[in-house]
Order: sequence, then C-alpha cells, then structure tokens
Amino acid sequence: MAERKDFGENDGVIHYELQEFKLFEPLFKWARKKSLWIVAFCTGCGGIEMPPLATARYDFERFGIMPNPAPRMGDLFLITGYVTPKTLKRIIITYEMMQDPKYLLAHGSCPINGGVYWDSYNVVKQLDKYIPIDVAIAGCMPRPEAVMDGIMEIMRKIERGEADGWKRYRENYEYYRRNQDKLFGEGWREKEAKRWLAWI
Amino acid sequence: MFDWRLILDAIGILIYALVVGFIFMGIERKAMARIQRRIGPPIYQPIIDTLKLLGKKESVSHGFIYNFGPVFALGVSITALLFIPIANFQLFSSNADLIVVAYLLEVPMLGIMLGAMSSGNPYSALGVQRGLLTMVAMQLPYGLAIIALVQHWGTFKLSQLVALQQLQGWSITVPALALAFIVFDIVFQALLGLEPFDIITAPAEISMGPMVEYGGKHAALLFTQHAVQLFAETAFFAVLFFGGASNLLDLFLKQLLVLFIAIFVASIYPRFTIDQAAKFFWKWPTIIGIIAVLLTV
Repeated sequence: MAERKDFGENDGVIHYELQEFKLFEPLFKWARKKSLWIVAFCTGCGGIEMPPLATARYDFERFGIMPNPAPRMGDLFLITGYVTPKTLKRIIITYEMMQDPKYLLAHGSCPINGGVYWDSYNVVKQLDKYIPIDVAIAGCMPRPEAVMDGIMEIMRKIERGEADGWKRYRENYEYYRRNQDKLFGEGWREKEAKRWLAWI
Repeated sequence: MFDWRLILDAIGILIYALVVGFIFMGIERKAMARIQRRIGPPIYQPIIDTLKLLGKKESVSHGFIYNFGPVFALGVSITALLFIPIANFQLFSSNADLIVVAYLLEVPMLGIMLGAMSSGNPYSALGVQRGLLTMVAMQLPYGLAIIALVQHWGTFKLSQLVALQQLQGWSITVPALALAFIVFDIVFQALLGLEPFDIITAPAEISMGPMVEYGGKHAALLFTQHAVQLFAETAFFAVLFFGGASNLLDLFLKQLLVLFIAIFVASIYPRFTIDQAAKFFWKWPTIIGIIAVLLTV
C-alpha cells in the first residue's frame, strides 16, 4: 500500500524509527519475517490447535517459527480463543512487555465478535478495542491449516510493512488506554503491579 | 613491534568461529527436527534470529549490571577461544592453559547469571539458582576427567597435548582415558545446556530461566556468545580427546562428531530435575572418573 509509506510523518510526536537503522531496514524486514518467535497466550480452545502445528504434520519450525515462553524475546503474540476481562489484563501487560516490532494474531471468531459467547456478560466481545490486532483468523475453531495461513499472512504483511499494530498502539495509545480504563476502572495497572511487588 | 599477521589471524579465527558456531546451532536444531521427523529450520536460522534481535526497535534495560552481563560473557568466551589451539593457531599460550580454558569455559554462565540476577525477575532468580547448583555438581566429574588426562599425558599445555596425541594416538584409544571421555561427555552435555541437564533454561517450566528478561539487542549478544561458546567447547573437546587438528577441515569434522553425540543424547533423554541432576553427577560420573584417575596413576 502506497499511502503507508509516509505513515508517521505528520504526527510529529513519536519517533519510533531509529534513523541509523534505515540502511539495514530491508535486511531486518526479511529477518523479522523469517524468524517469528511465538508467545502463545493459550486461552480458550485454540491452545489445542498449537501442538499439531508444532509437531511433524504441520511443523512450523521450517519457517523459523519457534515457541518462546519469554515475552521479552517474542515477536508474535497469539490470542487463541475467547478473552475474559481477567485474562485481558494479563494480555495487555504481556503485550506491553514485548519489544517493539511485535505482531498479534487472533484465532477464531471469539476475539473478533464474541463468537458463541456473543451474549455472555463476562467475555470481551471485541479485542480490537483494547489492543491492536494485525491478523484475525475467522472460524470456530480454525484448523491448523487456517492458523498456518494466518501466520503466512502476517509474514506477507511484514514484508510489505503493513503489520503495524505496534505503531498503531503507540500512536493511538490514548484511545486504547481509555477503552481499557473504561473496562477495568482507573488505576488498574497500579493495582495489578502492587500484587506482584512482593515477588520482585 | 606490531605483529599484523597475528592480529589478522586472530580476527579471522573469531569470524570463522562465529559463523561456524551459528551453523552448529542451526545443525543442532535441524538434526533434532529430523530425529522428530520434522523438516526443521534451515541451518542458517540462528543467523536470521540474531539479525532479527539486532533489528528490534527497543531494548529494555535494567541497569548497568544487566548490560554488563552479556558483554562479560561474550568477552570470556572469546578469551577462551583464543587459548585453544585451532589448526596450529593459538594466540595466547601458557604452561597451564588446559586449566585456564577449563575455567574460562564455565565463567560465561556466571556472566549471564550476573545480568539475570539484576533483572529482578523471579524466574531468572530460579534459573540462576539451578544453574549454580548444576555448576557445583558438575565440577567434580569435570575435574576428575581432566586430572586423568593430565596424569596420563603429563602436561598442562594444550599444544603439547596435541603433539603428544599425534605421536602416540588419540586419548580416546587409551582405555583409562576412554573412561575419562565418557565422564567428560556427560559433563559436556551440561556445559552446552542440552537435554538431560537443560534445567537452567527449562522452557516449559521456568520460561527460559535466566534469559527470561533478555530481549532485543541483549538477547542478540547472548546468541552471539552462545555461538562462540559452542565453537570453543567443541574445539576443546576435540583437542582433549580426538587429537586436535592440523587444519580447519579436520577440526570441523571432529567438532561435528562431538556435536552429534551431544545432539543424539539430547534428543533421546528427558530433563532431570535439579536434585536428580546433582545426585547423578555425584554418583556415576564421579565413580567412573575416580576409576579413570586410579587407572592412570
């Protein structure tokens, strides 16, 4: 997409592009595409679809994809199923922990519109309002082929420079923050952090 | 008084070690994938991973010691590499470089742990605790294997060790040193952090252990360190038990042999828990090591 090229020029506030890396950007783009490390947030039923992807039948390691449990190193964040407000807190914290070119893949119809939990009082219907989604796979539950296709779509988007969820999160942080605060109430981050301080 | 040829040789060896170390990491992943009947990543995959980590647009830091840890580990690995005779080239040499290298090959783990502890993550702390316990446990058999070797050949000098082995046959052909070889191979598995002893970075239990907080450029540095370390360790093994090498191809084949033993063992065995590992190290390898030492007296 041509109009994406001047993305971020007129905002004038956030300069996330390190200038010295402009020269190597095509190389890094290729490397990012070829080595996506997964942080799998296995909520709901999508976690069951991960083992066939990792094992001999669909083997995603041939594309350089590796399951990585540490969010600091991960690139691709998988939300594999429905999201309740309680898990959404963890999802947001994990997403903010990940370092900057980071991509988010939502499995199934639950993160898109609630899916079969469309009338539930305790399920987040639209994940896109709280954190930016790069690729969403429809289906209940998507088969491993569909998940593979979604990952390929992410790779294509990285190559074209369209997988810009992390940029959108920085630019529209007030919007996302407002939605999050509306759901959890003001100061929920501090409250969450206080519970973990004893462990650190 | 500047010896340009020596400096160029040292830089060349470093670049060679880096590339071959990355290829070894790739071979490790590829071979494991083939054993599990998967296709596996291309063997240059670790290079892509490192490039990607270098290209990350932010790097979270937790202070000076956190930054210092990976740099320290990389520096120690490079120093250890320069002490090992690689195809007639050895930059540093002393009368007791066997001890120096054996010591230097363990120090990088301490560097990583220094950085990991300062990150304040509970998983890091747990990983460091496990790592230190593994190191304490493997010291005894490691030392015994080296004592057996030194007693048989009567020298601490690595270049002399290579010369002696080329005159009188590899160490592994001597019965007592074959026992030492078994002990050293078990310890080697823990040195590489491979499967029966990958308690330190147990990915499914404590989410990468000490490495949990490292990301971006720090992790790229750690990957580079791991590549150099892998090259140095396999070269050290080849020098001690397979008679060293007179050219790089010879050395490469011997390193590959050593690496494949480690990979095959790693892909068969499940992980020990930390108490099992300590008990194991203080039982069988120690007994075999003592026998080897007694046979060489």
